[in-house]
Amino acid sequence: MVSLSALREAEAARMDAACIRCGACFTACPMVPLSAAKDADPVGAVVGVLELLHGGAGDAASRAWTAACTRTGTCNAACPAGVDPRLMLRLAKWRANETGALPKRDARDAMARAKVFARLGMSEEEQARWL
Amino acid sequence: MAVNLFWYGCNMTRHAEIIRLSERLLRCVGTAAEPVGGPGACCGSPKESEPRISEAMAGRTMQGFAARGATKVLTWCPSCHMNLEDFMAPVSGAAFTHAHLCEALHEGREALRPLMVKPVPARVLLDAHAGFNDRAEVNRLIPDLLRLVPGVEVLEHPYRGASYMCFGLAGVPGALEDHKARLLDAARETGADTIVTIFHSCHRELVGLERTHGLRVLNWVHLLAGGAGWDWADDYKAWRNADDPLAAMGAARVAAAGEEAVRKLAVPELARPR
Repeated sequence: MVSLSALREAEAARMDAACIRCGACFTACPMVPLSAAKDADPVGAVVGVLELLHGGAGDAASRAWTAACTRTGTCNAACPAGVDPRLMLRLAKWRANETGALPKRDARDAMARAKVFARLGMSEEEQARWL
Repeated sequence: MAVNLFWYGCNMTRHAEIIRLSERLLRCVGTAAEPVGGPGACCGSPKESEPRISEAMAGRTMQGFAARGATKVLTWCPSCHMNLEDFMAPVSGAAFTHAHLCEALHEGREALRPLMVKPVPARVLLDAHAGFNDRAEVNRLIPDLLRLVPGVEVLEHPYRGASYMCFGLAGVPGALEDHKARLLDAARETGADTIVTIFHSCHRELVGLERTHGLRVLNWVHLLAGGAGWDWADDYKAWRNADDPLAAMGAARVAAAGEEAVRKLAVPELARPR
């Protein structure tokens, strides 16, 4: 077993070593046209994501792309180097949330909302058994 | 004691009938599983911006599975499923196997086949997304299951939405609207009268199309239940499409859930633009 932080660090190091900075993942991403990164240089955007992954600030395009990632996975199919760009962007987003390079998602009410809907839709017996 | 768990995730609490029906379907295929979910069995995904909190939530969930002696965990939520594979099992270790609900039902489909006796006339288009199909082949297995239901015609269309479910798209300005427009185009092109959602967040986002576009919106589990002749009601859809969600819920139910909390947390979601 391993800690999550150690797992993330190991994955980030592996991705950094494996990535050939070709930009194929960026080009294949269906979210790019919907983001502020739509006119960005693919290679530059990938380099920026790797910076975010290691705690850097990245550039505007890499931040926009990372923020818009919805884990579609077309990047993985396009990657010629086995990097797992879908996971790379996810880890970059986590790191960027920690450093402040990207704002954190506001999920303050998420669990409370889930509980309210449980009380609305489940019987008391179901709540006792399922929650 | 060894048990199978049906891990439905945290946001599925909005769709109790799908949990109920899934539990029943699993019993029918000989894989009885105890439902578990809600905030106490979260994969940590909602707190992903706070990795330490997220890790603690995920760790608590894995401890809970171990304490119950889980030997098989059947997932519903793609976020949970991916977190289990990517982080939870590598970090905590897992003494259980896992699969998605549709994989378990598909494996047991010969047991479902004789139950599908009630025709459900529907020309259905699946709200398929690209992002999870490499983990569990939802875009192939669910249409296969739906073809067991008499009267259901599963229509083919190449469109696959971005993300792995609609939740991800809702956070990117314009993305969910773009997906809905393309899905509606696909429905028109195929002549579909029913949109079938795979996941809960898609159902949450798309049920409004019944009111705005006159298309029926069902979850795939609803259709299987319909084929078996089971009764069910989609409360979330009824509330979402009501002019007054509170009135649609009914005073007794609102009181039981806590009126202040319902007004503060549930009604704004139900009353948002469709």
